[in-house]
Parts: sequence; structure tokens; C-alpha cells
Amino acid sequence: MTWADAFRLVGRELRRRAGRSALTVAAVALAAALLTALVTIAQTAQTRVLSEVTTGGSLAGIKVAAAAPDPTQIDRDNATPGPPKPLDDSALRRVRSLPNVDSVYPVVSVPVVVLAPPRIAVPGTPANAVGSGVPGLGPDEPYGDSLVGVSVDQAARLPITLLAGRLPTSTNEIAVTPDFLDRLHIPQKQAATVLGVTLEFGFPRGFRRGSSRSMWLHPVIVGVAAQDAGTGQLIGTLGLAETGRDWILAGGAASAASFGLQPTTYTGLFVIANRLDKVATLRNRITAVGYSTSAPEQLIASVQRYLRVVEIVLAGIGLIALVVAALGIANALFAAVRERRREIGVLKAIGARDRDVLRIFLIEALAVGAVGGVIGVALGAAVAASVGLAVNRYLASQGIAPLHLAISLVVLGGAVVGAALLAGLAGLVPAARAARLPAREAVESG
Amino acid sequence: MGHGEEVSPSLLVRDLRHRYRTPRGELVVLDGVSFDVPAGGYVALTGPSGAGKTTLLSLLGGLERVQSGHVEVEGTDLAGVSATELARFRSQTVGFVFQHFGLLQTLTAAENVELALALAGVGLKTRRAASRDLLGSVGLAGRLEHLPHQLSGGERQRVAIARALANSPRLVLADEPTGNLDEESAANVITLLESLPATRGVTLVVVTHNHAVADRAATRLALRAGRLEGLLTPPRSYL
Repeated sequence: MTWADAFRLVGRELRRRAGRSALTVAAVALAAALLTALVTIAQTAQTRVLSEVTTGGSLAGIKVAAAAPDPTQIDRDNATPGPPKPLDDSALRRVRSLPNVDSVYPVVSVPVVVLAPPRIAVPGTPANAVGSGVPGLGPDEPYGDSLVGVSVDQAARLPITLLAGRLPTSTNEIAVTPDFLDRLHIPQKQAATVLGVTLEFGFPRGFRRGSSRSMWLHPVIVGVAAQDAGTGQLIGTLGLAETGRDWILAGGAASAASFGLQPTTYTGLFVIANRLDKVATLRNRITAVGYSTSAPEQLIASVQRYLRVVEIVLAGIGLIALVVAALGIANALFAAVRERRREIGVLKAIGARDRDVLRIFLIEALAVGAVGGVIGVALGAAVAASVGLAVNRYLASQGIAPLHLAISLVVLGGAVVGAALLAGLAGLVPAARAARLPAREAVESG
Repeated sequence: MGHGEEVSPSLLVRDLRHRYRTPRGELVVLDGVSFDVPAGGYVALTGPSGAGKTTLLSLLGGLERVQSGHVEVEGTDLAGVSATELARFRSQTVGFVFQHFGLLQTLTAAENVELALALAGVGLKTRRAASRDLLGSVGLAGRLEHLPHQLSGGERQRVAIARALANSPRLVLADEPTGNLDEESAANVITLLESLPATRGVTLVVVTHNHAVADRAATRLALRAGRLEGLLTPPRSYL
């Protein structure tokens, strides 16, 4: 008997016992759904937690400072930089050419003087409230801070997490960080209230005789984003930051240094390793080039270990469900063998070998497992997506960036193959029992 | 074939003994049965319930292993064959017709016939054509795509006969083939079966309680308590 003949026979038999087949498939589907949903949710949670650890951006990201490495800090996640060291285009090219580098993004942080923003109406606060510390009002006095300029079109790969609005796309636009909101006493979940507000800030520059002047700008706040690319409450385009840098440095290195800016093309680089497990290697290579680096590799490793345990526990629950479903398959097949003793005898009487009968029952088990697995995987992905939607709704209400469901093809494929294999395994004993039934069953009465 | 002519028997049974283990001890089912049947012969196997008819049929058809004695079918000693060879023997040398028809309920009449051919390794196109021919030869050309439950008892048994003939067997074993049929259908089925030795040259062994059927057989073996009680047509000497 060929495989095709056996498949045809099994298909007909499953249709004949449609009710029982459907129940058995449903048991496998539910178990596979549970496994898929739990693992997907666990993996999503892992991605999310790791993203939080790294404040967005790539997990394999390394921050390079415009400073020489401090030998005592090399292995630390948040290494304190050594003495300042200019980071120019040639340094950028050298880093970019290192092995295991996926991409390199320049960062320019420049000092700014921020004027008190205008009143911002915050829902739920008195409209006529005055004075510092009252929600809905800006600081009374100008203050010094920094603007972090990045390639905003590559923000998804940088340690930047958008919380509201969007990132700036021109020199007339700017984004602010949650620290800026704190300064204005605006709750993070009401971050959207600052969108559209015009902010006034300037790049300071020293002149002769100790005087200073600023280049004043009036960009519109278009977004709120958490960022770890540099230090500063304002986020702008790389071009805006470079304009500010050139203006400040034109006043002389000593003057720029007095405002906190060293003479360097870039104040930092964000380097992404091509693999998470190559972060340490790449860090060492960049250190060898002569720059201070930091990466949350040890923190990520610790979190990964804890999350792996969670994932194993959740997968274990799903697997137990699959094993229970497999026992259901075995039970259904045992019942089928009991009911079909005469039919098996007839098959043998007309020439079926033991292995033909074994094949028929194994295919039946595998088919139930595979169909249940496919349905279960679809169901599990849908459940995970629904949970994701509910979680995102909650996160949005809390002013936190949404999570992206980590539906892994490996998990989906693994669940289908695993369900089929487990079902096949469960079907082995009843199939072997069917194969061993004597041909004489064909002529037994009853 | 005339008397005195030496012909290889289709069935050669010598001192066949068979017993089953039961919770109440051993049950002797066949106790020293010996007989020969010539090729193309027609044998009726009769006897009361529990006489050992079905066991004898099972042993002749390779459904069960020979415990003691000698059973040779179409030159094959059934005592010394492997399980795989026995399966091939059942597929290619023997055709079974059961009282309960033994049709797979999920397969059409044509597919039931094809199944026997598929188990013998016959290709799809060949077996489609063969099943059509066979069902046509038993008068079921218009019932090819009918499922067993859509057929009458007589039609089902004719499908079973077509399936039994699918691999051109040398021996057809029928276990009370008319037991579940009305009189008219039974007569048609018996007529069809009885025509097989002449039309196809097969040896036919029919287990029956029907005296009229048994009387028409060339040889009538009467079993009682595992022993051959009567042999109405004396066996000829073949060896």
C-alpha cells in the first residue's frame, strides 16, 4: 500500500468519525494554542523588558563617547569615560570598518539655553494657577540643558522610544524627553499636551571681553520621546545639532568648553553589533581603537536569564497541555482500534501487512496532530494578538509606548511540528496494537 | 480430469490439529483433519456451530498459523512461511468472501475492489480499470461510486466477490456468504460463486448451513467437534 493510498484511507476514516475526530483535533488545537500564546507572550515580554533595559533601540547597541577609555571602567555596563578625545569622521570610518559592526550612527549633543515655555493647559489642573511647581506651567527662569541631535530617520535603530507625537524632521521641529515634562510638572500620560507648543531656546557662544550671545530658535514641539543616545531634554535633527555645534565652536575651544562642549565633530556614536552575542567582542575592538564605550550587556544577560526561566515555565505549561492532548489522541485511537478489529482483520485478509496497518493508524495520529497544530497555532497567535491589544490599550492609557507582538515563525512552526510528532508518538502504541491484531479477526463473530 | 489421472491438488491437508487457549483450559478445535481438493474444485464445508469450520477456513486462507499438521495451498506449505509471505499469499493466492461482507464503509464499491489491488502494489490506473471490469462482471457496472450503505445486501456481497477476485486468486474461501441475505439475493450470490470454478478456474470452498448449496458442491466436508465426519465425494488419489 502506498503512502497516498494510506492517506486517502485515513482521510475517509476521519470524515466517517467526524465528531470524534473533531473533538480530538480540538483538544490538540487548544493545547497548541495555549503553547503558542504563552511562548509568544513570553517572548514579547522578553523583548519589551530588554527594550526597556536599553531604553529602546537595538539590544546590540554600543554607545561610544568622544573620550578615551578609562582602563578601570572597560568591563562596566555604564563605563565612566576617560579624558575627552575628538570623535571625527575618520574615527567614525574606522569604527564602521570593524568586524561585527552592523551600523554606526553619529550623535551630536550641544548645550542650549532654554527659555521658560509658555503656559501649557493641562487637563485637570486649575487654568489660572500660577507659580513654579504647579502642574501646567513652565519654569520661571531660563535654564541650561542640551539638545541631542540624531539621524531621526534611523530612530528605530537608536535608543529612542517615542511616547507621543512624532520625531522632528526639520530644524523647525523638536522633540522633548519625559525629563522635560517633569520639569513642567506634566504627568507622562498627558505628554500630548505639549505637542504643538513653540519652544524658545538658544545655542550659547562666547565673545571677546567675556560677553556671550545665543543663536535663538523657535521650533515647535512635535513629539515626546525617551532617549539614551546622549544627555539632554531636547531631541532634534542631526543638522540642527551640527548648526548649534558649529556656532558654539566658532567662539573658540575655551569658550565652548565653558558651556560644556568639547571640540569634536561628534559627541558620540551609537554602534550596533551584527549579533547580540558579539557585543562584548565589538566593545573590546572599539576600546582598542581608543574610545570609551558602554553597553548594558551584563544587565541584558541577567534579565535574559530570568526571562528564560519564565519562558521555560510558560512553555512547560503549554507542553503539559500538549501531552494531555496526546493522551486524548491515544485514547481515541485505542477506541478506534477496538471498534475496527474486524475491519483491520479484513484489511489483513485481503493482503495488508502489519506495517500497512501500522502506517494507517500512525498517519491518522499524525494527521490529527498536524491539523490540530495548525488550527492551534492560528488560534494561539490570535489569542496572543488579542492579549497584545489589551495590553497596548493599557500601556497607552499610562502614556507608555506600545509593545510589538514577537510572533516567531520558529515558535509557530515548532508548535505544528511538535503537535504532529507528539500525536504520532501517542499513536505509536495503539497503531502497534492494531498492526499486531491477527488476520483471523476478519472472520470472528461480533 | 478423469479418475486415475495424477493432478496436483489445490488444497492438501494432512492431520491438521488446532487448539485455542481459553480461561477454562485448552479447546481442541480441529483434531486430525485430512483431505485434498483438486484445482478448480468446489467444496462445501458444513457442520454445526463450533465444529471448527471457520478455523479450518482461516487456516486454509492463511489468516491463522498452522499449529500442527500440514496445509499446502497451491503448492505453498503454510507452516513454513514468514508473516510477510503470508500477507502476500493472502493477497495473491486467496480471495475471501465474508458473511458480513467486510467492505470498508468509507470506500465506494470501486474503491473497495481497488483496495485489494492497491495492497498488492497495482498502480492507480490499472486498478481503476480492473475494478470497473470486475464490478461489471458481477453485474454492478452501475454501482461503482456507491458506498456500501447505499447498496442492498446482495449487491454488497457481489462487491465482496469482485474484491475477492481482484488479484486473480487460485482459491476463493467464502464463510457463510449467504448468511445475511434474503432468499433471492442468496440464490444470486451462490450462483455467482458456483460459476467461478468453471469461469475462472478457481478452487472454491464455501462454509454453509444451507443443505441445498452443500448438495450442489462437488465435495462436501462435514465437520463435527473438530473431526471430519463425512466426505460425501470420496477424495481421489492425487499423489
